[in-house]
Amino acid sequence: MWKWLIPLSVVPVIALLAYGFRVNPRDIPSPLVGRPAAPFALRTFDGAPVMLESLRGRVVVLNFWASWCSPACYDEAPTLERSWRSYRGRGVALVGIAIQDKQEASQKFISDFSLSFPNAPDPDGKVSVDYGVYGVPETFFIDRTGRIRLKHAGPISDELFRTEVEKLLGEPALDPSVDSQEKGG
Amino acid sequence: MISDIGHGALAVGTVLAVYGSIASGVGARTGRPALIESAQYAALAVFTLVTGCLLLLSYAFLTFDFSVRYVAQQTNLSTPFYYRITAVWGALEGSILLWTWMVTLYTLLVVLRHRAQRDLYPWVLSVMLGIAAFFLLVMTIPAPPFERLTPVPLDGRGLNPLLEDTGMITHPVALYLGFTGFSVPFAFALAALITGRVGDAWITITRRWTIIAWYFLSLGLLIGGWWSYHVLGWGGYWAWDPVENAACMPWLTGTAFLHSAMIQERRRMLKLWNISLVILTFSLTIFGTFLTRSGIIASVHAFTQGSIGVFFLAFLAIVLLTAFGLLAWRWDRLRAEGELDSALSRESAFLLNNVFLVAAAFTVFFGTVFPLLSEAMRGVKVSVGAPFFNQVNVPLFLSLIFLMGVGPLIAWRRASVENLKRNFLGPVLVGVAAAAALHVVGVRSALALLSLGLTVFTTATIVLDFSRAARARMRAGSRFLPAIATLLLHHNRRYGGFAIHLGILIVAVGVTGSQAWSVQTEATLRHGEAVHLAGYQVRFDGLSAEEDSTHATVIGTFTVSNGHGTPTVMRPSKKFYPQESSPIAGVDYRMGLREDLYLVLGDFARDGSQATVKAHVNRLVSWIWIGGLVLTLGAILAIVPDPQRA
Amino acid sequence: MNRNAKFIAGGGVIAAALAYMIYAGVTQSAVYFITPSELRAAPVSGKAYRLGGIVVPGSVQWNPASLELAFTLSDGRGSVPVRHRGTPPDLFGEGRGAVVEGNWSREGHFTASLIMAKHSEDYKAPRGTSGAGYQDLIRTLEKDGSSR
Repeated sequence: MWKWLIPLSVVPVIALLAYGFRVNPRDIPSPLVGRPAAPFALRTFDGAPVMLESLRGRVVVLNFWASWCSPACYDEAPTLERSWRSYRGRGVALVGIAIQDKQEASQKFISDFSLSFPNAPDPDGKVSVDYGVYGVPETFFIDRTGRIRLKHAGPISDELFRTEVEKLLGEPALDPSVDSQEKGG
Repeated sequence: MISDIGHGALAVGTVLAVYGSIASGVGARTGRPALIESAQYAALAVFTLVTGCLLLLSYAFLTFDFSVRYVAQQTNLSTPFYYRITAVWGALEGSILLWTWMVTLYTLLVVLRHRAQRDLYPWVLSVMLGIAAFFLLVMTIPAPPFERLTPVPLDGRGLNPLLEDTGMITHPVALYLGFTGFSVPFAFALAALITGRVGDAWITITRRWTIIAWYFLSLGLLIGGWWSYHVLGWGGYWAWDPVENAACMPWLTGTAFLHSAMIQERRRMLKLWNISLVILTFSLTIFGTFLTRSGIIASVHAFTQGSIGVFFLAFLAIVLLTAFGLLAWRWDRLRAEGELDSALSRESAFLLNNVFLVAAAFTVFFGTVFPLLSEAMRGVKVSVGAPFFNQVNVPLFLSLIFLMGVGPLIAWRRASVENLKRNFLGPVLVGVAAAAALHVVGVRSALALLSLGLTVFTTATIVLDFSRAARARMRAGSRFLPAIATLLLHHNRRYGGFAIHLGILIVAVGVTGSQAWSVQTEATLRHGEAVHLAGYQVRFDGLSAEEDSTHATVIGTFTVSNGHGTPTVMRPSKKFYPQESSPIAGVDYRMGLREDLYLVLGDFARDGSQATVKAHVNRLVSWIWIGGLVLTLGAILAIVPDPQRA
Repeated sequence: MNRNAKFIAGGGVIAAALAYMIYAGVTQSAVYFITPSELRAAPVSGKAYRLGGIVVPGSVQWNPASLELAFTLSDGRGSVPVRHRGTPPDLFGEGRGAVVEGNWSREGHFTASLIMAKHSEDYKAPRGTSGAGYQDLIRTLEKDGSSR
């Protein structure tokens, strides 16, 4: 019955290729995952200050985008807005950061998609360098203790947003003293 | 509106293709011709629907219907008429539509040509419609070409400027004709397995289909190289990029199949091997699409990714498991009737050719999936680059060139010393003499000497065989030209094959020359300054700019002289497209039989006072394109109906 | 049977030769994908690396006359000085992502033989805010051209 080994030999090949879906070759593995998120202080397009420090204790989703990134950023913008609407009541903070973009173009993008979550420009590119943003869109999920838990490159789906945020919401915030200690080290 | 019609037509098409596939299979099993006949109508209807969809999408492009997402993504109001048509297959959704259209076209041609064939045909129809059904399904779920875009934008994004080129327009068409063409021999092979008629019938019937598919695949690869050479601006034509590898693998196994099929026709051997090769070739065409569209392997030609990868992988799994499952089931019937008599025979030359081709295909596959493999096994991201592919494949390809000389002339069954002497002594001497002569004129690269020596040897075998046959005709009273014409027409299969071999040999000379002797340099020049390379003087004479409807261009003016003849002006440029994040290089080159001078504009000062230029002198590259033309002529000769058999 | 054994032996020799060539090829041309911080942690000179990160703003030094390009690549945790000979590719720029291939030199910098510019349909490397600034350039050059 060894002749049946021929069709069976296909299985490992297919399994290997299926494994390929798990890994994203364009994903530069982010060494930031599991590390405390770099603090930032930006001013939104509306002029309001937005700081990571002041969001401590909440689940934070950081989305890097640009108005010229089509169609990926256009595809995910409605998803972000939708997810924001369903999770803002549960204490999730969503911050959009427009990188390498013109002010007017970014603002048009925000009004075109009626984005209601805070969006800020990254004028000197400092935040994108701190987060190792390699392209747009990229999304970072930060847990209540201020650690980056997931970096997603490419457009985000409703499902991914939900799964990750639900997971992080389910975790208790750690003792802040432990947290600041680690941050110092 | 267009969205709705398109979606509807594709959905109906999917249902009809599934129906036809099942009906034809059931009809064959239960012996009910009415069912098979209805499957034929289904095939016709599917073809009509897909043709309609293709026209509809083209119409949407021509009328700038941005309510169709794909149109908005691929064009903007400044895209010229010509590129609006070709933009139809410029990205994923449209290229799947084109692919599907070709599958349904081949299905219809099979219906028209083979419907009198009773035992294999119904199953062939069933398999072909099954393949069409899969692609239609892809267009209904993960990659709908008619997806609606709301709100409708005023303008679209625009075509990727790299695609605004004749090469990039024809390349996918040729490649897909090749890829989809292999579905015909695949369908016949499956039909042979299902019916148990694994004899030579399916091989004989599909011979011409295989050559057609193989030819288009070769053409697609060559045009791809041509596009890469004159558009991408890195000075080369082949980089062992995963996307190129994806197209190269089915070519290698398809070439192996073309040859091993002859052994089965002649000696009733290699039945199992032939069926396996066809299954592999077809699977590799699907694998190629999977690879380029799933994004599992990083590539410079990064394409859209999405759930489409899962569909293709599932289809690949079904194809491989079903086909090899059937093969295992029919194992006992696939035993060879003939036997290999001697290691010195045409059979074993062909067998060896097959082994090397499949080994090359395996190498390419291994190198391409290596990053995945190493990550899965060791958790490290490692890739292998061009040096790996070259190192392993060069010895294989050189052996293949040698076998290309041996195979067609060595005797069947068992070659006598007499036969070997008569056919190969002359060519071997010519090959050695050529290598020696090249050494004398200063060629020192061992690899180049070996490669060119082998090429000359193989060319000599072709010349020897042809002149012998022509002389025989002339002795029988023919004059020279009529003798050649009758020879070519009456033995079109053999001499078509020889012409294809010649084409490949010419390509091999081009590849060898460009690898061994190309030189390049890079320099920043001020006004009036010059850089020297391989006898050329390239002088920078300034920058200018132009603007047209789609883009702006910064052009460098360089005056080129090579010591003799009048200096010529070359204008490499950089094109700036509003929709693109970075400029696109506009290569300028002077082609020649001996060498091409190839200029790429790099960085430049904003005031136009200085510019960086990359100059390449690429040796013998034109031979690759000439080889492609010879190959085309050979393929046409091999495909024309055989007067002796017709 | 004897003949079969011969062919199996022949096939075995070919398979072994191929396996050896593949093995040798892989060991000689393997390129390791790492991040700047991983490289900083354990640099091995002579090993081929592919390094991905962000070009740190203000770090780019390009000398057109000598064709020397120097910049710093960072992943947010560690940074690596990179040197390259040749024009930076079109996509290259400060604050943007870049992938470089080359090796770690003993002098304490990364020598890049290749800087990769990737084109992608939906996942793009960022472009400069001055992206449309070429219009000024065109105007300058057009003026310049008409004066001649």
